[in-house]
Amino acid sequence: MTTASASAAMRKVSLAGIMGNRGALWAAVILMLLLLLVPVALPGYQTLFRTILMYVALAYGWNTIGGYTGYVSFGNVTFFGLGAYCSALLSAHGVNNLFADVALAVVVNAAFAALVGLPILRLKGHYFGIATLGVALAITDIVGNLDAFGGTGGLALKTVDEAHFSIYYYAAWLVTAGAIGATFLVARSKLGYAFVALRENEEAAAVLGIAPTRYKIVAWAISAAIAGAAGAVFAPANGFVDPSIAFAEDANVFPIVMTILGGIGTVAGPFIGAIILSGVNELLARWFIKVHTLFFGAVIVAVVLLLPRGLVWLFGLRGGARTWLKSLAAYKA
Amino acid sequence: MHLLAQDLVNGILAGGILAVVALGFSLVWGIMNIINLAHGAFVMLGAYVTWQLFSSFHVDPFLSLPVSFAVLFTLGYLIQRFLINWVARAPVLTTFLLTFGLSLLVVNVALLIWTGDTKGVTTAYSGTNFTVAGVTVPWAKLYTLLAALLITGVMQLWLTRSKTGRAIRATAMDIGAAQLSGVRVAHIYAIVFGLGAGLAGVAGTLISLSYSLNPSMGQPFLIKAFVVCVLGGLGSVEGALVGGLTYGIVEAFASQIDVTIGTQHISGTGLQDAVALVVLLIVLIVRPRGIMGRATA
Amino acid sequence: MSALRIADVGMRFGGLWALREVSFEVERGSVVGLIGPNGSGKTTLMNVISGVYKPTTGEVRYAGRRIADVPTHEVCHFGIARTFQVVKPFESLTVRENVAVGAMYGRDGGTRSTRASFERAQELLEIVGLAQVAQRPASDLTAPNRKRLEVAKALALDPEVLLLDEVMAGLNATEVDEALELLRDVNRRGVTLIVVEHLMKAIVSISTTIVVLAEGRKIAQGAPTEVLASPHVIEAYLGSRWAKRQEQLRVIEAERAEAEHMQPHEPNA
Repeated sequence: MTTASASAAMRKVSLAGIMGNRGALWAAVILMLLLLLVPVALPGYQTLFRTILMYVALAYGWNTIGGYTGYVSFGNVTFFGLGAYCSALLSAHGVNNLFADVALAVVVNAAFAALVGLPILRLKGHYFGIATLGVALAITDIVGNLDAFGGTGGLALKTVDEAHFSIYYYAAWLVTAGAIGATFLVARSKLGYAFVALRENEEAAAVLGIAPTRYKIVAWAISAAIAGAAGAVFAPANGFVDPSIAFAEDANVFPIVMTILGGIGTVAGPFIGAIILSGVNELLARWFIKVHTLFFGAVIVAVVLLLPRGLVWLFGLRGGARTWLKSLAAYKA
Repeated sequence: MHLLAQDLVNGILAGGILAVVALGFSLVWGIMNIINLAHGAFVMLGAYVTWQLFSSFHVDPFLSLPVSFAVLFTLGYLIQRFLINWVARAPVLTTFLLTFGLSLLVVNVALLIWTGDTKGVTTAYSGTNFTVAGVTVPWAKLYTLLAALLITGVMQLWLTRSKTGRAIRATAMDIGAAQLSGVRVAHIYAIVFGLGAGLAGVAGTLISLSYSLNPSMGQPFLIKAFVVCVLGGLGSVEGALVGGLTYGIVEAFASQIDVTIGTQHISGTGLQDAVALVVLLIVLIVRPRGIMGRATA
Repeated sequence: MSALRIADVGMRFGGLWALREVSFEVERGSVVGLIGPNGSGKTTLMNVISGVYKPTTGEVRYAGRRIADVPTHEVCHFGIARTFQVVKPFESLTVRENVAVGAMYGRDGGTRSTRASFERAQELLEIVGLAQVAQRPASDLTAPNRKRLEVAKALALDPEVLLLDEVMAGLNATEVDEALELLRDVNRRGVTLIVVEHLMKAIVSISTTIVVLAEGRKIAQGAPTEVLASPHVIEAYLGSRWAKRQEQLRVIEAERAEAEHMQPHEPNA
């Protein structure tokens, strides 16, 4: 296959445009509405679906900086963790209010992201990624050594009684819906275009009047606020946070994997990726207790090889199996 | 003073291993732009190859170095040839995700074969050490460091002098030009990935002498490889060595921090990583391309 | 009245001066053609005027302000826009979106609404002749259409001064005529143009003034026919000395482009 036709095929599938695919977006909205019924229809699965919602929100948070702006962060768990600690510290001071938790987490994390972003968002590509990983690991260590944060022993939170536990589910749903809504609005707005322009070519964007550092910081602050809010509603439901829970590796890596799997830099992609990956993981865990992670790895490998541009791509695919095989060939070395 | 000297020695000894771990990771990343998240899993496999040979056939760990290199090289070559090359021209995050999946696969296969129980390689010289000017040096770690330096040197020579080594460097600089001058890129890529895996295997063997083994042991080394790579500069042999030693030394000194502010006691043993990472951040901000300056790829 | 003052501009890359003591003024509403052999410093001068490079000596002033003092992303806010010789479309956006981004963040410093920006983009696409492909991804465009898009993006900034770096390269005769017509039209609307072009016929037909650069120095300035008749200019084009220098500059520029590509810092940071 020649380079020219290969890249033509590659383009055909890469251009869902800034909004991503409409069909995929509608699928996401309908699924989201159905998820609202879980506490009533499937009360036994509440915790499972609450966790899925959490991952969906984290995936959206990551997508803003990693997907739209093209700055791949390996450290967004920092914001999830700090969000969780915001709730824990409020609880320790007698404040047990989910709205207060989310508000504090959003403010603290957006500010923290802006502060850290000022030096490290000047780094390009992989160097930015490593710096964010450094921030995440350093913060994990530091929090584990501070008495005010309970050290490695962690902090307990006051939890509502069993009968009202579904408020945590609805809180997680709201945060997730907020994250999707925010992404939708940003993607349609001038802000979204600034992010994408920076991703595609920073110099060309600057010549058109887009201040690179300013908009990158805005993107990262939004990303951080979303992850922080997800952490803030997670902690009270969990009833306890310590560094290994708040800065868990799963919470760092899964959202990235889910976003890439679903379709990076699209509105619907993270949702689809998160739902399918969490679902597959859960089913595998039920069917193959011992080897489910092995199967999980195999599923990821298979999906990457068969759908290198993510699942959202399937929605936009026209022309059936032949187009698909042809476009696959475009990626071979 | 003794304490400082001891820290320095500890740091250098630990840094040598880190350099080898980072070397393979750095080559794969620098030359092919693949962030290999399975690198830690390859390190683990290398350690288990050594353990298996040691416990079944009493092969000395240093003698198993070529075996773990060969086993991992073959595995790496096959993975690149038949999996990664399949999506080699997809965006970098696609291969990133692929290696994440591979790492889950490898770790869990290891879990099935060797279980999650902690294992160790205990040789006659394990636990023996000598003392020079008040500084204690474990023999095993000293041998490890020497092996690490030797491997780094051989790699550097091979990359600059051998025909394949030159083809690799040419591919890293300009893929199109390399192709035109007859370099088979798919084959070269597979060799580079094999080499990265082989070096991870070697690192695993060296690690098995000083650390205990379990299937998830590779993860912390993966993260350190990341950092060392950036510290030293991507894709360069001497960069990995300098980065590894720097990281090892910084970490060793950080463990000595011991201060109390009010009721808050801060001890370096818990903050080792944090200090090392703060150093990383400072290096990145001051020297965005690593201590060694120019990246080669 | 002069719109742009280039005073004693020098630009050194390593040991080589790509520009040396270049001075001239650009009248408001004029069309200045910038010509010279390869490697004479035309693109470097465009980069200095648009604020991408800070000159080693001298200064460029526009409306009384030194361009070098203004960050790249603000240069367009006081009326200077440019195209790139190597076009830089945002590949994953549609053609219309590409232009709309300029309209959103350009001249008024980001006060234009999304809807108004898209309307403006559509108008401009009609002007440059890309209306039919407005909804196509920019990566699908042919080379001449990419040049058109580049011009539309620059126009979206509502510039007072527009720098055009080889926008006609690779166009056929009819397309060149269309492009010239477009530029005349833009100029009639009051936009001052600085045009770098290899096609001598095109540049003579559109320019009110021509500035000739050779080996980084200005060697002539004046009305097109006058300038081209000057023996000085002919020698610069045909002389042998520049061949060596051109090779030197090409290597340096390539290294520089490479270095910028590798550079983790923002160009304007």
